[in-house]
Amino acid sequence: MYDAIFVTAWPWWVAGPALGLVVFLTAWLGGKGLGVSTAYGSVCALTSRVPFFAAKEYREAWRLWFVLGLPIGGAVAFLLGGRFAPGWAYGGLDGLVAGSLPAKAGLLFVGGALVGAGARWAGGCPSGHSIVGIAQGSIASLVATAGFMLGGVVVFNLLVAVLGG
Amino acid sequence: MPPWRFLVFGTLFGFVLSRARATDYDTIAGMFRLTDLHLMFVIGLGIGTAALGFWLLRRTGNRTLSGQPIALGTKRWHRGAIGGGLLFGAGWALSGACPGTSLAQFGEGKLVALFTIAGILAGTYAYGLVRSKLGTPAPTIRVRPAV
Repeated sequence: MYDAIFVTAWPWWVAGPALGLVVFLTAWLGGKGLGVSTAYGSVCALTSRVPFFAAKEYREAWRLWFVLGLPIGGAVAFLLGGRFAPGWAYGGLDGLVAGSLPAKAGLLFVGGALVGAGARWAGGCPSGHSIVGIAQGSIASLVATAGFMLGGVVVFNLLVAVLGG
Repeated sequence: MPPWRFLVFGTLFGFVLSRARATDYDTIAGMFRLTDLHLMFVIGLGIGTAALGFWLLRRTGNRTLSGQPIALGTKRWHRGAIGGGLLFGAGWALSGACPGTSLAQFGEGKLVALFTIAGILAGTYAYGLVRSKLGTPAPTIRVRPAV
């Protein structure tokens, strides 16, 4: 049982319902539809006076508490699974950039910036749009999710073509 | 519910993202190469499960267990969903991470996630700054108790 929960990989038919269950519990027990990307705007609201971040959605304390839990959850998963070994490795990307840390740093920072701007422009990310939004039947969420996937497939294959992976 | 209790839900969400391999670069690469559809099935079943849960909540009056109204925050239609979605997808492909998984990755000990997290903050701030100069648009989340 311990191995099935913490060590061996979860099949999609376990991981999917588990993800939906956490979304449901956050609504049923917490009364909120979860969404991660808005919390980055909450950090901007705390540290700047840019009018965009004065909107109510960036002024809700629960969002910051929620995202504070994400690294804890990741750490728990890797600690209990016996895989916790902090370092700068990053899967197949190490091969694509020939192990160069500055190249990885640049790629991830630029990619992150597009993610941050794109999420605010689209009004959400794969948690708030693709799961919570689509589960409520939102057209905007369905279109945004199609964009996430289409943009991802096109740009990832361009990246591999350029870096020669 | 006091806001700090959302730390529990966040921890659960981060744990599940990690166990679902959503934080794994090679799984994301497989999804965008269309060679490993694991994560698409995970997201699909996640949507189905959440939709079933929301339906049950609606049928029982949209109240939390302790009787408070539930505010899910409906996403209203706007054209930014197209451009923003595509831009986000491009960034997801370059970084192998999204706003939630980058934070979970950092907890797993994948220290490169710090660059992604810094980038997301910078991109969020830059977008807010530009939109503020152009005139602040209406918030994209509409909060109402029932859906």
